[in-house]
Amino acid sequence: MSDNKGTLEIRNLSKSFIVDNNPLQILNNISLSVSSGAFVTIVGSSGCGKTTLLRIMLGLENHYTGEALIDGKQIIGPGTDRGIVFQDHRLLPWLTVGENVAFGLDKLKQKEKKFLVDEHLKLVGLNGFESAYPYQLSGGMAQRVAIARALANKPEILLLDEPLGALDALTRMYMQQELERLWLLEKITMIMVTHDIDEAIYLSDKVVIMSSRPGVIKKIIDVQLSRPRDRASSDFMRIKAEILQEFHLGTEYPFAYAI
Amino acid sequence: MAKKFLQRLGLKDKLLAIIVPLLVLTAWQGAVSQKLCSELILTPPLTLLKTLLELAQSGDLTLNILASLKRVMIGFLFGGTSGFVVGILMALSPFLNRIFGPLIKALQQVPEFAWMPLIIMFLGIDEFAKYFFVAIGAFYPMVLNTYQGVSGVPEKYHELARVFEYKSFRYLFKVIIPSALPSIITGIRLSLGLSWMFVVGAELFGSDSGVGYLMTWGRSVFQIDLVMAGLILVGVIGFAMNFLLERAEKQFFLWREPVEGRHA
Repeated sequence: MSDNKGTLEIRNLSKSFIVDNNPLQILNNISLSVSSGAFVTIVGSSGCGKTTLLRIMLGLENHYTGEALIDGKQIIGPGTDRGIVFQDHRLLPWLTVGENVAFGLDKLKQKEKKFLVDEHLKLVGLNGFESAYPYQLSGGMAQRVAIARALANKPEILLLDEPLGALDALTRMYMQQELERLWLLEKITMIMVTHDIDEAIYLSDKVVIMSSRPGVIKKIIDVQLSRPRDRASSDFMRIKAEILQEFHLGTEYPFAYAI
Repeated sequence: MAKKFLQRLGLKDKLLAIIVPLLVLTAWQGAVSQKLCSELILTPPLTLLKTLLELAQSGDLTLNILASLKRVMIGFLFGGTSGFVVGILMALSPFLNRIFGPLIKALQQVPEFAWMPLIIMFLGIDEFAKYFFVAIGAFYPMVLNTYQGVSGVPEKYHELARVFEYKSFRYLFKVIIPSALPSIITGIRLSLGLSWMFVVGAELFGSDSGVGYLMTWGRSVFQIDLVMAGLILVGVIGFAMNFLLERAEKQFFLWREPVEGRHA
């Protein structure tokens, strides 16, 4: 989107749940701004509220203080300007692959629908699979269909909630390349939640590090490596060490000498 | 190896399913022809077959089966549809569930045939009373299974529907009902099965046509072969309906993972 669509602005956002009559703070004073067409990743250990934050962006969680704006407008409920890929592919088992991709295109005419389904299945490399059922797909293929379903709606922002978390390590790295390719092709904003630091560095312009209880943004790291990125390069490793430091997982003596 | 063994076992099971009834029929026929038992009390299978063939030739068989099936269909459509609608409403509205839930659970404890005196008092014994009786039988399995299916729709599908902005009827017909369909189809199968049982019951109470009527008539003229032929008809037709519905169910659920490949 060239005309500056797909920007996200979060200002002083806090959210708490009521647990046993006591408020439990989940997110505390979150401020984050994502520019149009950026790839931003939110990393943090489980329970830091990163998924809640994504659900707020999606419009599934209300009742918070502060502001959450998309293109300057307050988020009220889900909308077709945002697409979502969940960790579980969440394809409807009674629909074929093609029908699943068309799930959000219900209001369109048959012809337009078919065009968009074909286009997006081709985009994720699954043309020819439209009449297969979800149970016949592997985990990686099912997630591709889920991505095609989200993109078919032409969202300005694609939200990804640990989309590759359930895949095996090799498939995951392959899918990371695929996500990058789709992002470069579609030129839309992508915001991904993950706990895989390599994945975050490989894909993002910006890595947002969150810590838990209550969830706060600890640090935002700009990743200015050229693409495609080399997971084994020293720059990559330096950024990784910087992130690990935030989780108190860095080594005090980065170089060990064996004598 | 194991698969071959299982296949052979499956074949053996199928053979047994034919052999055992055949043995029983042969023993039955033998017992009567050896005069171990009077033909007047226990009609032998071959005589029953003759009775059925005679009924078929005279046209009585078709006429009475059709009369029963018509009552089943009307009662089932009436009771099954209302069970379906009430089940959906109860599952989707906690308010309606609070109102209807206890009532339906309480009424379910009333044995079906205990309704008969009340129905006869209010509606008599004409066709409408029979439809009504069958409808009561069809209602319960449908309402319970629909309720279970719809309230069991996973939260993740509800969330998906919200994200893609599915509302009201589109939401109901594209997400909720398809997701609940396996349970709903089970409801239809049970409901139709009970309808068939209750139509025979209703016809026993007072009727001038139908398979149940055939049996009461046989009893009143002391023709045991007619009574037993009626029993066989009830069993065979009930079995056939269930069989056909199970086949239809399998055809319908092609999207379900085949059992061999199911992962936990």
